[in-house]
Amino acid sequence: MASSFKELDLFGSGPHRFAMVRQGLHVVSLAAIAGDFTLAGSSWFGDLELEVHVRGRLVAPSEAALWALRDAATTQAASTTTPVPGTLIDLHGRAWTSMSLFRYEEDDRVCRGRVWSVGYLARFRHFVGT
Amino acid sequence: MLVLNPRQVTFGASTWTNVASVSIGRSAHQTLTEWSDSGAHVVLVDVPEQMVTVRVVQEMLADDMDTVRPGESGTLSFVTGQNSSDAGTREVTVEAVVKTVSYETSVSRGSRRFVELIGVSADGVADPVSVDDA
Repeated sequence: MASSFKELDLFGSGPHRFAMVRQGLHVVSLAAIAGDFTLAGSSWFGDLELEVHVRGRLVAPSEAALWALRDAATTQAASTTTPVPGTLIDLHGRAWTSMSLFRYEEDDRVCRGRVWSVGYLARFRHFVGT
Repeated sequence: MLVLNPRQVTFGASTWTNVASVSIGRSAHQTLTEWSDSGAHVVLVDVPEQMVTVRVVQEMLADDMDTVRPGESGTLSFVTGQNSSDAGTREVTVEAVVKTVSYETSVSRGSRRFVELIGVSADGVADPVSVDDA
């Protein structure tokens, strides 16, 4: 099945893979909190916000078609408005709700071979505080 | 592309005679391979960067004191045909930069010079090698 974000097929033009990154407790050193470097130990401050990374490659038959794919992704990551969360679904139907695409990073170059393509890392986060 | 016994090869203002062969090879400078989340096999392969290399093998009958040097650029061209007549001849042209110049000497085969060049495209899209009717 195709992956999707807010029912949009942002990444289906090329291969892409999903990964959940750090999960668990948010741990901070007490020295950092108190500003006292002699203080030992740490404490937890709730759960880490869930983050899912999608790493892949946008693939298109032309320069213009690739720009359309890139624009579609960056539109979702744009910071002009408050991120609107949605459901992220991977290639096997696993769904993460209330996810926001907060960062979209491309590789250092667009590849122009048989097809036009660019690698990317799209970072989604479940913002708890908003 | 391999051309045996072209009559002569010109490179810029120089003319190289007694050329035994000219070979034009193509290789991937960068290969792009991608896997998906669905299985073990590669799902995308592309070659976004490739390189054209030209190797000119020349029989040397005398000293070679004033040779080409790495970094020199020019148009390499030669005429090839199916036989020694002018029928069906074609001219091969390559914009190229000299990469290496080396020699081999042996009692049985004499001395040979090897010039390796890298083809250069005018805009990155056009093929550095052109073949036209002579």
